[in-house]
Amino acid sequence: MKKLLLKDSKYEIKKSKIIKVTTLTDLEKFFEIELPGGDSLDHDPGQFVEVSILGVGEAPISVSSSPTKLGSFEMVVRKVGRFTSALHQLKEGDEIGIRGPFGKGFPVRILEGNDLVFVAAGLGIVPLRSLINFVIDNRRDFGKVSILLGCRTPQNMLFGDEVAEWTKRLDVNFSCTVDRADPDWKGNVGMITSLIPGVTLEPERTFAVIVGPPVMYKFVIAELLKKQIPERQILVSLERNMKCGLGKCGHCQINGLYCCQDGPVFSYDKIKGVPEAL
Amino acid sequence: MTRTKPKVAFFDFACCEGCQLQVANMGELLLDVLGLIEVVEFREVMSEKGPEKIDVAVVEGSITDKHAIERIKKIRDRAKVLIAYGSCATIGGVNGMKNNFKLDDIRKEVYGDRFNYFDTVETKAVHQVVKVDYFVNGCPVYIPEFVKVLKAALQGIPYEVPDHAVCVECKLNENVCMYDRGVACMGPVTRAGCNSWCINNGNICYGCRGMVSNPNENGAMDIIKKYNIPMDMVINKMNMYNKCREIDKREQKKR
Amino acid sequence: MLYNLSQYVVLKKEDFNGFISDLVKEQKVVAPVAKGCGQFSFEEVKSGSEISIDYIPTILPPKKYFMPRDENIATYDLSNGEDMEPVVEYEKMLLFGVHTCDLAGIQCLNMVFSERPRDLNYLIRKNQITIIGYECNFYCDRFASCRLVHNHSPNGGYDLFFTDVGDRFMIHVNTNTGEELVAKSNLLRKAGEKDFEDLQRVREAKNREFAKNEIPIEHEKIPELFDRAYNSKVWEDLDKRCVACGNCTNVCPSCYCFNMIDEPNLDLKTGRRYRQWDSCQNESFAKVAGGESFRKERGARQRHRYYRKFKYPIAKFSRFFCTGCGRCSRTCMACINLKETLNSLIKEQGMENPEAGKV
Ligand SMILES: Cc1cc2nc3c(=O)[nH]c(=O)nc-3n(C[C@H](O)[C@H](O)[C@H](O)COP(=O)(O)OP(=O)(O)OC[C@H]3O[C@@H](n4cnc5c(N)ncnc54)[C@H](O)[C@@H]3O)c2cc1C
Ligand code: SF4
Ligand code: SF4
Ligand code: SF4
Ligand code: SF4
Ligand code: SF4
Ligand code: FES
Repeated sequence: MKKLLLKDSKYEIKKSKIIKVTTLTDLEKFFEIELPGGDSLDHDPGQFVEVSILGVGEAPISVSSSPTKLGSFEMVVRKVGRFTSALHQLKEGDEIGIRGPFGKGFPVRILEGNDLVFVAAGLGIVPLRSLINFVIDNRRDFGKVSILLGCRTPQNMLFGDEVAEWTKRLDVNFSCTVDRADPDWKGNVGMITSLIPGVTLEPERTFAVIVGPPVMYKFVIAELLKKQIPERQILVSLERNMKCGLGKCGHCQINGLYCCQDGPVFSYDKIKGVPEAL
Repeated sequence: MTRTKPKVAFFDFACCEGCQLQVANMGELLLDVLGLIEVVEFREVMSEKGPEKIDVAVVEGSITDKHAIERIKKIRDRAKVLIAYGSCATIGGVNGMKNNFKLDDIRKEVYGDRFNYFDTVETKAVHQVVKVDYFVNGCPVYIPEFVKVLKAALQGIPYEVPDHAVCVECKLNENVCMYDRGVACMGPVTRAGCNSWCINNGNICYGCRGMVSNPNENGAMDIIKKYNIPMDMVINKMNMYNKCREIDKREQKKR
Repeated sequence: MLYNLSQYVVLKKEDFNGFISDLVKEQKVVAPVAKGCGQFSFEEVKSGSEISIDYIPTILPPKKYFMPRDENIATYDLSNGEDMEPVVEYEKMLLFGVHTCDLAGIQCLNMVFSERPRDLNYLIRKNQITIIGYECNFYCDRFASCRLVHNHSPNGGYDLFFTDVGDRFMIHVNTNTGEELVAKSNLLRKAGEKDFEDLQRVREAKNREFAKNEIPIEHEKIPELFDRAYNSKVWEDLDKRCVACGNCTNVCPSCYCFNMIDEPNLDLKTGRRYRQWDSCQNESFAKVAGGESFRKERGARQRHRYYRKFKYPIAKFSRFFCTGCGRCSRTCMACINLKETLNSLIKEQGMENPEAGKV
């Protein structure tokens, strides 16, 4: 058996540095990552990277920062298993490996000039934040912007500071709901779907962007369709088990589609006839 | 960086001690592993009075009486990490067969007329009594897997026992299937992780690693019928290692 | 069929062992050998007498040499941080005696791994393997369905191709690599008219043996069958019977799913990252954090397997990924049989054509 160092391997990692770690909740931590030489990741909002800790493994993680942020990028990771536990043990200054960005992100060029409704529930805010901040940083290029946010309890809300900023902005309509309120909570209580009927929108020029737990999509899409938003203007980001990010390992397959290469962002018209998608 | 070696102690409960023999049989690998850890003598640990902590407790055997329950709770208190080691510890193992009989009958059987003086509780796997951080299934354990678990413990990350069939490894090893030899094999419903070593060595899989989380039990029964293999033989085989699963099932229902 | 006689050479059967011995001197030679209980596997051989030339498809297909079950893709060393070196491991070898169904399987893998983003590990390794095909003049057994998917006769994919024409082999020379092998051997002679006639006769007999599709449906109608059968009752039946052992996928020449695994050495500082065969039949294959599995029912997983053979690759690669080798049916202890499944689907959809494919 001969062994050869392989240049241009698709599995090569970029040795990167964690420059900031913040604990967000019991389960979620925020990481800011610097690529070698301060290179920019050059991603589209909605794309993901394969993060690697040698000796532990790799995991697909969404880029949470906007491409307008230069010099580093950000991500938020929930501790659920082997890789994510190991990542949670790392500190500022530690190294990790990065491959990517991978997949098709949100079609930002197409979104320009249109009204946008963002629907985020749970961890969905993490990838969506990349697009929201991109839109806010280029606010002039877009029409009306609404953000609908759902979380389990007020304590589960991620990016509280940024959310507070969004609520203050006059050029963003923001509403939020929690599954379970605490005594201090003054906002809505209930499912995220309950926020949609209250949004006034012009369906033909509105793009809706949904990211959340798998169970949520069907219900949110049904509400948006009731609002007459055309199917191809409803965008979702789907999560699947992923091992390679290269359209080979088969884990992320959704019928004939590969979530890692054809997605993770899909428009509803492309997946409504795909039985395994939603 | 010089690290102090983690202190590892072995404890045994009701079992055949076959698994500990496996460790002794490790040969060269054992030396390498010993380079990683400091093995503290079990008696030593228990005789020390102070609440001194051990880093890793490796527990063998199933929990079969009240005294054992107390003892395992103490071990848990002192161990940062607890590894359940071998089928008796992880799934109740052969000791679980006790649960097939009325408890009183067993005591009569074992202790004769004086059975009332001896208490015995339902046989339990270790995780049915205290929190277990790592499982090393198997009867006896498969040493390369134990080493894998040990590494994970030292890395501070979880180890998941594979949740697919032994057949997967068996096929990767390109064995001739036991069903093609006309013999029943528990491979299709047993958790992988042992590299199908029994089949590699010409034996059938007895299911010693416990069942996969979502076994198709009816399907497995159909197969066995199809191959004309006597039914009670199979049920015996399944019971041999999987009886304590019923306790897990019961707990799940309660939740 | 058009034969170009200059592309053919002849090997007398009595010279077969000598031919193999010559090959063995040059490189590692891998060929089918008997494993007992009517089973075979590709193993390294040192002489022609070890080879079982009349074999039925091996337990594992030749894919085990193209994408090894455990394949190192990188080594790492943490002494100075996250340092990883991507590697490719390969071995020069000659694969002897590959049936046409398995040649097709290798072609499927070639397509998958040369599709962008390309997989260099696979492509480098593949170029180190010389392939000598071997024609089936008769069916291997009742599980085969190579006729249905047009793989019962050669469609390229080899350097040399052997056909048994009685007391000798007719050998088609397909590539330069093949020509070089021929040039090195002094046991071969150029084919003449008589050899050509014998080959013709063997092929005619073979056409009678493989007279029509094994399953009563036209080749061209299969995609339509699968378009219609997604919600078929047949999948529910498979759901009850399949025990998710994963055998049908691990033995399939065109299954290529894998897992990525890191394995630290005992020093916990160095180690390797490798790919290992994985299967869509395995419980955790499509599970994500939170425990949701996107193909929870075994029936849905079986359906996925069939669709990955008969539907999805049509759109991507314009070919069926089932090679007709019959391995999945041969290996299934629950007796789930590809031909029976197709038959049930065809019946259910009323698409039966008993004369399908008749020549
Ligand atoms: C496109 C994409 C973007 C993602 N973005 C984020 C993010 O921004 N933040 C975040 O916290 N998580 C994100 N995830 C999920 C994250 O990848 C998984 O939580 C992680 O891979 C689990 O690895 P683990 O080793 O910790 O868990 P494991 O120990 O492997 O297993 C824990 C559980 O996670 C499941 N799982 C294993 N591998 C994967 C996988 N590759 N994808 C999904 N589930 C898996 C297992 O089946 C099991 O149920 C994303 C996933 C995808 C596909
Ligand atoms: S021998 Fe047993 S483990 Fe191996 S494939 Fe057959 S049933 Fe599965
Ligand atoms: S093959 Fe079966 S009996 Fe043998 S070690 Fe593995 S699980 Fe146990
Ligand atoms: S070989 Fe048979 S039982 Fe095993 S996964 Fe395949 S269809 Fe199911
Ligand atoms: S699906 Fe079955 S018959 Fe078809 S190629 Fe795979 S193993 Fe062979
Ligand atoms: S399936 Fe067809 S090509 Fe393959 S070995 Fe059998 S008869 Fe030959
Ligand atoms: S993650 Fe491997 S195919 Fe998509």
